[in-house]
Amino acid sequence: MRVCCGLIGHFELARRPDLYGTPVIVGRWDEHVVAASEEAQASGVLPGMALRQAEHLCPQATFVLPDEEAAARIRELVSAALYDLAPVVEVRDEGIAWLDLSGVMNPGQSIRAARHRLLKAIGREPRLGLAPGPFSARLAAARARPGRLLRVADAREFLAPLPSRELPLDVEQRERLDLLGLRTLGAVAAIGPRELESQLGRDGRHAVLLARGFEPDPLEAWRPPLFTSAHRQFGEPVEDREALLFVARALCSDLADELGLRGAGAKYLRVRLVLESTESEQRESLVRHPLSSTAELFGLVGSWIKEWQPRAPIAELWIELPVLEAAGRRQLRLWAGGDGSSEEVIAALERIQERFGHDVVWKPKLA
Amino acid sequence: MQAQKLEVAIDSIRVRFGSQALTRAAELQPPQPWMSGTPVDHLTGIGGLPRGRLSLFTGSGTSGKLTLALALLASATREFAHAVVIDGGGFDPWTLTSFSPEPGALTIVRAPAPEIAGEAAATLARAGVGFLLLMSEIPEHWLGPLESGANRSGTVVVGVIETPSRALAHASSFSLGFTRSEWVWERGQLVGLRALARCVKNRVAPPVGETELEICYRLGAQSVKEASLWGPHAEGMGGVEPCASAVV
Repeated sequence: MRVCCGLIGHFELARRPDLYGTPVIVGRWDEHVVAASEEAQASGVLPGMALRQAEHLCPQATFVLPDEEAAARIRELVSAALYDLAPVVEVRDEGIAWLDLSGVMNPGQSIRAARHRLLKAIGREPRLGLAPGPFSARLAAARARPGRLLRVADAREFLAPLPSRELPLDVEQRERLDLLGLRTLGAVAAIGPRELESQLGRDGRHAVLLARGFEPDPLEAWRPPLFTSAHRQFGEPVEDREALLFVARALCSDLADELGLRGAGAKYLRVRLVLESTESEQRESLVRHPLSSTAELFGLVGSWIKEWQPRAPIAELWIELPVLEAAGRRQLRLWAGGDGSSEEVIAALERIQERFGHDVVWKPKLA
Repeated sequence: MQAQKLEVAIDSIRVRFGSQALTRAAELQPPQPWMSGTPVDHLTGIGGLPRGRLSLFTGSGTSGKLTLALALLASATREFAHAVVIDGGGFDPWTLTSFSPEPGALTIVRAPAPEIAGEAAATLARAGVGFLLLMSEIPEHWLGPLESGANRSGTVVVGVIETPSRALAHASSFSLGFTRSEWVWERGQLVGLRALARCVKNRVAPPVGETELEICYRLGAQSVKEASLWGPHAEGMGGVEPCASAVV
């Protein structure tokens, strides 16, 4: 197993690239620090500490409110950008990206591409580490210079001199390690897993395995989302078709934005009307040519709603896209110039027939 | 520093929206010509109709614009895998027979409403159809998708509209205005017309002048002949290949 790790800083910090190079602390007042830039960390600010304490340590820092949704969107973008570089990719909000390069034909090329894409996505050079597992790769990356790669051949040898506070333990467990005189990972690795388990519980055993370079934690592979939906609940049940079309267009627009963000297209479309009587009616269709824009989605949804005869006023409208085309492929096809093929044109003609009826497209037989 | 920030911003946009989302003017390729083998090629200034752009033939009825468009369509069916007519009503494919088209490549989209015409045109242009002949107006909000789709795929889009709307005229890159100058009579029979084709708009090259076309109505291998020409490219008009015409 060869894992490459890229450290790019917490995604909360990536929301404000204009503040790069200055001390920034992300957190809510009276709560804990969510993220701190390297400049703030140099003053002693650490994620998890009380914000008041952080303010005392680094009063010149810019304080930013966290936005979990925006950070999650950035994480999705980074995951999608790295998706085709390795079979397993995991990205965390803390700004850690792992790529399991096992089986990759040209790992060097993947690492170079990963560095390039992370730089483009975040606007900062990532620190890179290559090691036998995710834990050692992360520690290697943390010790690399920005834009550089630190390779680790033997994880145990590399980890041995590092401080034991690098282990994923809480403050109390770290203090106990300190009391036991286990101040380096080499010292932790030297004792038996059961011995430390008796002191720290299951986390102790886990810590010994990490210190020995056994890498007990597998990566959780990111997968492009395969399902998305949007819905609107009406305060008063709706009977007016125009109102329903208006809401449907807005929902299609939201879904199109989401699909655009993921570079995906919908291959299956379902519209569900929840009636006042709590019964529901639905219509669904498989589309040969994936839909991604508002016009494409609303074209089909709107045509259904226009001819729909619901049995009762509508309390809720759902538009579901249960099957999405994988990220990456869609965007490539959208933007590559001169990529029209006979298959694409035939698919487009079929879609026009799906939308407006079979008779719309006609191939004349000229004698 | 500013240049570096600009580079980062441009790269971010390309990562987010794709490599073609933002293009520097210096990196833009000049429009590629499609040589149709008709006299129109010489009026564009680049030796053919521009690929990926919208060309318009305008003018009152019986001024010869449809005959010329049919000649282009027939030529396109022989050259491209797909040539599509977006017909707002009234297009008769049998008028094409005497131009010797390749029937397998021809598809007609019957669009009873402008909205259908717009969506079909934009979808097909994006899919990469070789030649698109628009026989009716396109709603303004479909012009953007049509332009960008055609631009990416290199589709040749030709519109035959008597009086185009301002939006359509604005969206076109090349526009030819047709005016009938006289009927052609032979032994007391009406056999054709002479039309003046004048370049009224050209975004792909400096505007070239005008030419006179002789369009014959009889069945058979008559030609759309170039009678005379005025304009800066007049000296380059010696060897014009005639193309077949049909009864209209």
